[in-house]
Amino acid sequence: MNRRELIKMIATLTGGAVIGGEFFLAGCNNPDKGVTLAFTADDTAFLDEVAETIFPKTQSAGAKEAKVGDFMTRYVTDCYTQPDQEAFHKGMDMINAACKKQHGHDFMKATAEQRTALLIAIDKERAEYQKNKKQEDRPHYFQSFKQLTILGYFTSKEGRTTATRYEPVPGKYIGDYDYKKGDKIITNFD
Amino acid sequence: MPNNHYDAIVVGSGISGGWAAKELTEKGLKVLLLERGRDIKHVKDYAEANKPIWEYPHRGDRTQQMIEDYPNLKRDYPLNERNLHYWASDKDCPFTESKPYSWFRGYHVGGRSLMWGRQSYRWCEEDFEANGREGIGVDWPIRYKDVESWYTYVEKFAGIQGSYEHLPQLPDSHFLPAMELNIVEKDVAAKIKKHYNNLRTLIIGRSAHITQKIPGRELCQYRDMCWNGCPFGGYFSTQSSTLPAAEATGNLTLRPFSLVKEIMYDKDTKKAKGVVVLDTTDNKTYEFTSKIVFLCASSFNSTWVLMNSATDIWPDGLGSSSGELGHNVMDHHFRCGAGGQVEGFEDKYYFGHRPTGFYIPRFRNFGSDKRDYLRGFGYQGAASRQGWGREVAELSIGGDFKDALSEPGAWSIGASAFGEILPYHDNVIKLNRNKTDKWGLPVLDMSVEIKENEKKMRKDMQEDLAEMLNIAGVKNVRTYDNEYVPGMGIHEMGTARMGRDPKTSVLNGNNQVWDCQNVFVTDGACMTSASCVNPSLTYMALTARAADFAVSELKKGNL
Repeated sequence: MNRRELIKMIATLTGGAVIGGEFFLAGCNNPDKGVTLAFTADDTAFLDEVAETIFPKTQSAGAKEAKVGDFMTRYVTDCYTQPDQEAFHKGMDMINAACKKQHGHDFMKATAEQRTALLIAIDKERAEYQKNKKQEDRPHYFQSFKQLTILGYFTSKEGRTTATRYEPVPGKYIGDYDYKKGDKIITNFD
Repeated sequence: MPNNHYDAIVVGSGISGGWAAKELTEKGLKVLLLERGRDIKHVKDYAEANKPIWEYPHRGDRTQQMIEDYPNLKRDYPLNERNLHYWASDKDCPFTESKPYSWFRGYHVGGRSLMWGRQSYRWCEEDFEANGREGIGVDWPIRYKDVESWYTYVEKFAGIQGSYEHLPQLPDSHFLPAMELNIVEKDVAAKIKKHYNNLRTLIIGRSAHITQKIPGRELCQYRDMCWNGCPFGGYFSTQSSTLPAAEATGNLTLRPFSLVKEIMYDKDTKKAKGVVVLDTTDNKTYEFTSKIVFLCASSFNSTWVLMNSATDIWPDGLGSSSGELGHNVMDHHFRCGAGGQVEGFEDKYYFGHRPTGFYIPRFRNFGSDKRDYLRGFGYQGAASRQGWGREVAELSIGGDFKDALSEPGAWSIGASAFGEILPYHDNVIKLNRNKTDKWGLPVLDMSVEIKENEKKMRKDMQEDLAEMLNIAGVKNVRTYDNEYVPGMGIHEMGTARMGRDPKTSVLNGNNQVWDCQNVFVTDGACMTSASCVNPSLTYMALTARAADFAVSELKKGNL
């Protein structure tokens, strides 16, 4: 076990989410042949907007500026199993469908306020579902959009350098370091 | 015609081989250092060392293609996008598993000294005595006092940071100034110490990072990026430490891409003549001769070389006359322990990325403590504030959510135990001639498992830590067991054990093969028992000791 694994283990143990690759533990084994697994430029633009709604620009960069949409397409294509890729593509359709139902048009046509309202509603549904689901049930489809936004953002140059205190070569260790609310996480380049 | 004769041949350039090369060259021997993999030049070839996470397409994570290509490596952290090139290819170098085994290897100059965990602990008197007293395996032919001065010797050169604790179960090293426990770890340490009346302690993890200048190296910069190779030479590796020392003597020839197929044995003199090398760049074999051979190819590969040598005399290979070659495989079993949340300390954080954690030395079956199993375990862990990966239940999406994750979360603390595995004769590796590697050589088959003693210990490994954390006031303490597959500790030991009797051991008390006394095995293969502490420091000490002995024997004309 290396230190990275240790920290991850502690995070899992204490209720932190483990974000990334293998979080869809219960993979569905009946691939739906009807779903296309390639992303288009429109998909990337769509994902940028979803991510920006989850992580909008504040005093730190927004997800779109951090190219999280592009990251998501690459990560899903290369790191997800086929069933998980299918679930993700379906999830994009479901976001659009929910948007039509709530606001009468596609997500890309929605205003920033409409998008926020929509994703807050979907996230509420997600939280509720996750709380009640059985271990073997698949996670709620929005789970991966949210998690990949967090992962893609905080590992991007823009996210890392504007939303955290990026210290690649600290040169020293202080184990009793004063902290006040608002101070950012101190990160390295990993 | 190149010169193919040397005073000494060292097989393998990892922690043990690097030490053998340094010691033998410094004592004036002309040494050929053979490495099966490619060369990696210090600093220059650490391609990943200064590469930020956003330059990796999958941000360090594994792809489905990687999972397919690395069926063994995928079982743990070595399969990752960052330093994958340091881990041996499962495809090129396969092995078979009669029982599940995870073998994580580094086939390049420096071996696993580049990726090791760097935790460095001395063995204690008890570790060398337990086998003999309890009738387990065979008695070690040496005691702590035989190795003590060698520990000091290697520590002075390698640079080990740690705190002086005067503990009988964990002798102090010759330390560089200790790294610091953080404020929460200090608080938990004080509470544990008080409650257990000093019988249990939480101390800084001792590690091979330099906190004081050593010539040719820079201080640890607290980047915690060690496993990519350190451009500062902040931690001990072959490249940062032993190789430059060996090269400085002018006595070293380093030959990468040199896979040692066998040791050439002369049945008339009953000595090794040298080795046969398969050059993996041209697939031709070359013979090199020497007065002595140091096998430091990593535990299983050193044994593999022995198994492939002198088979016309001993069908099971050089050193097999006792019937113990390949047997008594050990590792450390781990991946279980406990963790929980720490309340308070919201006004405290830490600065810098400390490359070590805390250590809780063994307390079970030590002194007056008695359990229903033998030996013990130590814990390695850390306290930290949660990072951006955490769940923030009360926040949904939006700017507040992002800003909340930009700040550290609550403190948490946890650890994994590392437990001793007893040497069992039927935990064995064998040659599997039905399967070959990329070069047509027979592969190893693994048949290793943990047994009742270890399984009983795993209960304590979880519950003892939960108890200590509860006593320290940690909240929501939970135990875990993420299941251990032999080998995952990457502390493989045994298969050519040292002993007092050639009938029951492969090596004598000076790491000489009983059956062929100018061959020395000084890596993990030589271990007679496993202790519960990380083994590398002991390999360093045993290697330096054996090198000293070998040279004095050479001078006396005994080899």
